[in-house]
Amino acid sequence: MTHLVIEEGAPTRGRTFLTFPIKSFLPALPLLLVIGYFFLFPITKLIYVSFLSNENTLTLGNFVTAFKDPYKTGFINSIKIGLFSAAIAAVPGAVAAYFIETRGSSKLRRTIAVMNGVLANTGGIPLAFMFFAAIGMQGQITKILKALGWDIYAGQFSLGTFTGILIVYLYFQLPLMIIIFSPAIVALRREWVEAAYNLGASQFNYWRTIGIPLLFPSFVASFLLLFASGFSAYATANALTVGNLPLTPLQIGGLLDGNVSASQLNLGKALSSVMILISALAIIPYLIIQRRTSRWQKR
Amino acid sequence: MAEALKPKLQIPLVITLTILGFFVFVPMISAFEYSIRTPLEGGYGWTHYLWAIKEEDFLHYIIRSAWLAFLTVLITLLILVPTITWLHLSQSPLRVFIDGISLLPLVIPVVAFAVGAQISLPEFVQSTVLELPFLYFILALPYAYRSLDIGLSAIPLKTLTEAARSAGANPFRTINSVIVPAIRGSVMATVAITFALSLGEYTLTVLLHWDTFPTWVTYVAQDNILGAIAISMMSLIIPFLILTGLTLALPERSNQGRK
Repeated sequence: MTHLVIEEGAPTRGRTFLTFPIKSFLPALPLLLVIGYFFLFPITKLIYVSFLSNENTLTLGNFVTAFKDPYKTGFINSIKIGLFSAAIAAVPGAVAAYFIETRGSSKLRRTIAVMNGVLANTGGIPLAFMFFAAIGMQGQITKILKALGWDIYAGQFSLGTFTGILIVYLYFQLPLMIIIFSPAIVALRREWVEAAYNLGASQFNYWRTIGIPLLFPSFVASFLLLFASGFSAYATANALTVGNLPLTPLQIGGLLDGNVSASQLNLGKALSSVMILISALAIIPYLIIQRRTSRWQKR
Repeated sequence: MAEALKPKLQIPLVITLTILGFFVFVPMISAFEYSIRTPLEGGYGWTHYLWAIKEEDFLHYIIRSAWLAFLTVLITLLILVPTITWLHLSQSPLRVFIDGISLLPLVIPVVAFAVGAQISLPEFVQSTVLELPFLYFILALPYAYRSLDIGLSAIPLKTLTEAARSAGANPFRTINSVIVPAIRGSVMATVAITFALSLGEYTLTVLLHWDTFPTWVTYVAQDNILGAIAISMMSLIIPFLILTGLTLALPERSNQGRK
């Protein structure tokens, strides 16, 4: 009896049982395969190899070297350049995003969005050229300032120094800030301003109690992303410096190219792993804040 | 208080744009001035641009970079549009996982990614330049995924798919002639970011020892610096013009951004 009942129920149950697991991941398979093979596999292997000695035994030796000079200075410089460039770009970028999003026409906003997209991706030799032409030794601005009585090259300044790189990084950090902070501005509803004013709030009151508290998490998140961007930039630093300023991305590049040799074969991988860790410490909070704020930003 | 509701003065916007414009265009114009100098005759001219265009490698690398970028865009759209559509429709538990994992490339510095790719991908992958579009796809994934995800969240996806299905469209047709047109703003944004990123990618390309247009510019700079500045200028201005043209040519969807 029981046997018969089960057989009768089988077709429908069997079909859902069979199709469910396939349907639940098959359409995502191409994406999962590409991400797995071209991203997760290389990163996992990188982290694993960073714990291997030259004889392929597990070791922490690579990391011990990674935290000694010159690599220690490299990390300090890279973290400093990430922090400084983010700190300088964050507030002006946020203010610019506010005025562009709230006062700009649709055409203007879209044009600026495209421009920012291109500018945030400039780097390397083209960016270095622009700044050599503007504030390099023979740059236009350098000449104008000199004529006005300020020789910017009188002191230690050059584009390959920390200050020089910092100025150049702002060229892509500012547009990046505008790009990532704009959605938060767009999500500020006009009704809230109107409601606040109707209840008798002044502009100052509105910003103190509504505007800034609402935008602050997005601002912090943007700052973190900017830090990661400045911290890990390679192309521009590579074009500007001639090995005079130790920066971790350049040190890794040098080890990978074989231009610099180290007795530990996997030192470059250890440096990369530490970079991933530092970057993750900034990006993961960024993603968490983004996720939380996007709840009220969705209409 | 009532004046706050009136159309606001544009002065703050003008000031903002002036300062930003100054910072953005002064270096650009300075470099442009350099690129049209003719040191031999002492005046200005298009010598370096003509030199660059006549260079045999110029066209070669432009074409190479363009088709690599084109392939990246193609891979991005072919993989992401159906997958994200499906994730939205099926309410698969995978969605949370894929949402998270698609943002992960943001965490990894490109230099570290290059090292990882170099030590892990087998010879047959690393010996073909076709590895680059897949790696560029990964780099652009966080932006592309988010843009398409937002686009698909903003349309009545279920209604549209059901309507298309009852009108007799197969899934391919549904995506191609119903969903993609409905989210064309997001699709264009995805195309723009992916294309721009692939065209300009330098770090990964150079560390994996490939030559594309951006790495070629670095190489040329060693011989003819003014020519290289001219090429750099073109590499900035051309994508900008193409992308601005694309964005402005598309009518803005009336229900996007305001309600």
